[in-house]
Amino acid sequence: MSDRKLPRLLQSPAVLLLLVWMLIPLGMTLYFSFIRYVLNSLRRPEWTSPSLSNWRGFGNYEFVLNSKDFLFAIQNSLFIVCSILFLTVILGVLIAVLINKSFPGQGIVRVLLISPFFVMPAVNAVLWINMILDPVLGLQGIAVANLNDLAAALRDAPVIGWFFALWPQLEPISFRATQTSAYAVIIMVTWQWTPFAVLIFMTSLQSEDQQQKEAAVLDGASSWSQFRFLTLPHLGRPIAIVVMIQAIFHLSLYAEIEIVSRGNGNKNLPYLIGEFANNNIGAASATGIFAVILANIVAIFLLRMVGKTLME
Amino acid sequence: MGRIVLKSVTKSFGDVEVIPPLDLTIEEGEFAVFVGPSGCGKSTLLRMIAGLEDLSSGSIEIDGQDATQVPPAKRGLAMVFQSYALYPHMSVRKNIGFPLRMAKMAPAKVTARVETAAKSLNLMDYLDRKPADLSGGQRQRVAIGRAIVREPAAFLFDEPLSNLDAALRVGMRLEIGELHERLQTTMIYVTHDQVEAMTMANKIVVLRAGVIEQVGSPLELYHRPRNTFVAGFIGSPKMNLISGTQAQKYDAATIGIRPEHIDVSMTEGSWEGYVGVAEHLGSDTFLHVHGSGVSEMITVRISGDISVNQGDTIYLTPQSDQLHRFDAQGTRIP
Amino acid sequence: MAIVAKPSKLGTFGRPVLAWTVGLLFFFPIFWMVLTSFKTDADAVKPEHLIFFQPTLENYLNMTENYDYWRFARNSVITAVMATLFTLFVGIPCAYAMAFNPSRATKDVLMWMLSTKMLPAAAVLYPMTFLTKSAGLFDTHFLIILVLSLINLPIVVWMLFTYFKEIPKDIIEAGKMDGVNTWGEIREILIPLAWGGIAATALLCFIFCWNEAYWTVRLTTTNAATLSKLIEGNRAPEGLFFGRLSAVSAAAVGPIVVLGWFCQKQLVQGLTFGAVK
Repeated sequence: MSDRKLPRLLQSPAVLLLLVWMLIPLGMTLYFSFIRYVLNSLRRPEWTSPSLSNWRGFGNYEFVLNSKDFLFAIQNSLFIVCSILFLTVILGVLIAVLINKSFPGQGIVRVLLISPFFVMPAVNAVLWINMILDPVLGLQGIAVANLNDLAAALRDAPVIGWFFALWPQLEPISFRATQTSAYAVIIMVTWQWTPFAVLIFMTSLQSEDQQQKEAAVLDGASSWSQFRFLTLPHLGRPIAIVVMIQAIFHLSLYAEIEIVSRGNGNKNLPYLIGEFANNNIGAASATGIFAVILANIVAIFLLRMVGKTLME
Repeated sequence: MGRIVLKSVTKSFGDVEVIPPLDLTIEEGEFAVFVGPSGCGKSTLLRMIAGLEDLSSGSIEIDGQDATQVPPAKRGLAMVFQSYALYPHMSVRKNIGFPLRMAKMAPAKVTARVETAAKSLNLMDYLDRKPADLSGGQRQRVAIGRAIVREPAAFLFDEPLSNLDAALRVGMRLEIGELHERLQTTMIYVTHDQVEAMTMANKIVVLRAGVIEQVGSPLELYHRPRNTFVAGFIGSPKMNLISGTQAQKYDAATIGIRPEHIDVSMTEGSWEGYVGVAEHLGSDTFLHVHGSGVSEMITVRISGDISVNQGDTIYLTPQSDQLHRFDAQGTRIP
Repeated sequence: MAIVAKPSKLGTFGRPVLAWTVGLLFFFPIFWMVLTSFKTDADAVKPEHLIFFQPTLENYLNMTENYDYWRFARNSVITAVMATLFTLFVGIPCAYAMAFNPSRATKDVLMWMLSTKMLPAAAVLYPMTFLTKSAGLFDTHFLIILVLSLINLPIVVWMLFTYFKEIPKDIIEAGKMDGVNTWGEIREILIPLAWGGIAATALLCFIFCWNEAYWTVRLTTTNAATLSKLIEGNRAPEGLFFGRLSAVSAAAVGPIVVLGWFCQKQLVQGLTFGAVK
């Protein structure tokens, strides 16, 4: 009927905008990934502008696959994402179960808990890497120094002195170093996203069937069995959603990695693309296509899982 | 004003044909009730008349004009929804006046019409309340008020009473009946409740699986049901439908006899049985008679004064002039 | 009556203590940042002034001088507000169409929209830089507004869609019978009825815009640079400016954290696309 046409047309601006936003840059990335294209080249100036005559086929892909950074970046991306997922889900479930029952000040605790989620990533990274994790001036450095001082002071104490004499001098960890910068990122992102997991699990816990729990109590189930056989299965779906959403967000982590160590020893795919993009656009684009493929694998799972319940 | 003609109207959802070709005329000023079990297509039919649902084929005429492609608001029809569908963010006054405001009527005129409608519906004291602060019955009245102010060619009611409790339902039934008396406007009313249909309608349209089984006045349907489906659907308690040797005696595949058309005796009669459950309503008693060998159970309606107990042996005699005969296809034998 | 399990020691005493501890622990870094922001740069790195110090407002008063804070803040406000408005402007009609006039393709369109959100931004970094530079849009407010709108549009449409779907269809149909046209439906019925949901969506969209840290950093230099860019640009002071850096960070996240407290519930619905209720 005619009065259905206008309403349906109303979705076209949004759809068209997104279509353009997706297709044009992605199309260009695809194109660039098949040509030789660099920003500066004294030797081969013809490579500095995109042109079909610089066709390289899968050359860029081969180049990227053969670069040691690429494999490392994929590994590191997965390492960071998986660690964060593991930590946020475990912490999230524990905290959600902990604060789900009412206690004095529950509302305030909720507000305190959720706050980190709204901190902008740049501030999150600056705050953690400087004020908290800095090996000298951050709280970490200060705490380690104090512990060392304390141990040193007690070494001369009577009776228990020998015990503290056995203590080694504690070394603060430098989280900007190549080996440890990934841990810093994991810590700060876990801090930021655990609240998100808690929030979602709590919302889900509130919809848990109370009568079922009461029945379980009557059946003599212990608290642990209730958690194990009722609560945990109930949380299955939200856990899956939290995992998938976070996977998507964290696969494209950027600001934290940049701020902590400028990618030193801690590149992920987006960061590697950024580095390539400083000169080798062909390689950056090929890496981009790999990132798209990786994200799609995750996305397909998410859409499968979330999609079913969305339309009813 | 208010003559509605459906010409070979059909409706399909995907591959499923909900309404096969259907013709129906509703005359001006009629109170037509669409009745049938749930899923019979009666609401779909109403929504097609309203314009809320597209026709798959066929046409709808309102007052001689083809309205098939006309948008809902332009058809001159008003609808009362099962959920009332009041605008929760507007006061009663705004709710009732909304269609007028949308028709760009002058505000003074809107006020006047809203107040007239509100007076006739006893809503004057609630005009500034929001729907959430009203009882179910009041909401229903507001929904009717919103329909009245438009002075439509016809009113469409989609199971308007099913969300009310039993006592209120009887009251609202009367009110809607009186409204029809007063306005003499065509009304089309959808319900699954045959009591509502019998009490309110001039014309009942019985539907099953999108097919009109019978159209007629309540008494026509009661006395001359065209087939076993209508026979079973209209009337409460249900007509006893008996097939087998008893029916063959009457040259029919099935015979039907209403519970109120069976004479009861403790001593003699055509069928002998014993009383299973006896439902005492006070004025009447419904007996469920078993063991007659005629049918597994026969329902009988007797005066409440007669005392009968469970297990009593009882003799039943159908009133032969009230007997309905049906052939093997279930169609009435004249 | 509900069965009350016999309260254990943990239930009556341990739970609140443990819960408060966890809450305070998670909030601590923010608290620490705010505390540090009231210290002078010198005090901020002295262990003896860890907790006891002479509080000062100087870091906040000098934010303009030290960091040109207000220029970045102004850019953040402009881009986040305009992007939110634009996203709603495009998203409301879209979600309306999908919720009340769905076609067979609606589900797929919605899913596709969501999938654009999953495209890694980095994959199109160079084309975006290239395109915007050649169109003269690089480092303009217009560009940042557009990009922020586009990356948030899928989530906004989804959120609005879930809110709109909660409006009974009958009411929309009653409106049709009463003679509202499409615009009237949106203006007179949809927006007033879904006001709470629209506000929550707007708030969340605003927060996401404000916190965005990839495009706002990569597609700006100075003119349209937002607070994310400001903080990122001052990332590694090696203990030099803890006080002033804390102040500017606190000023950058403070308003958003407070806003966030008001839309916790909506956050769940928004981020899980209504799949967790």
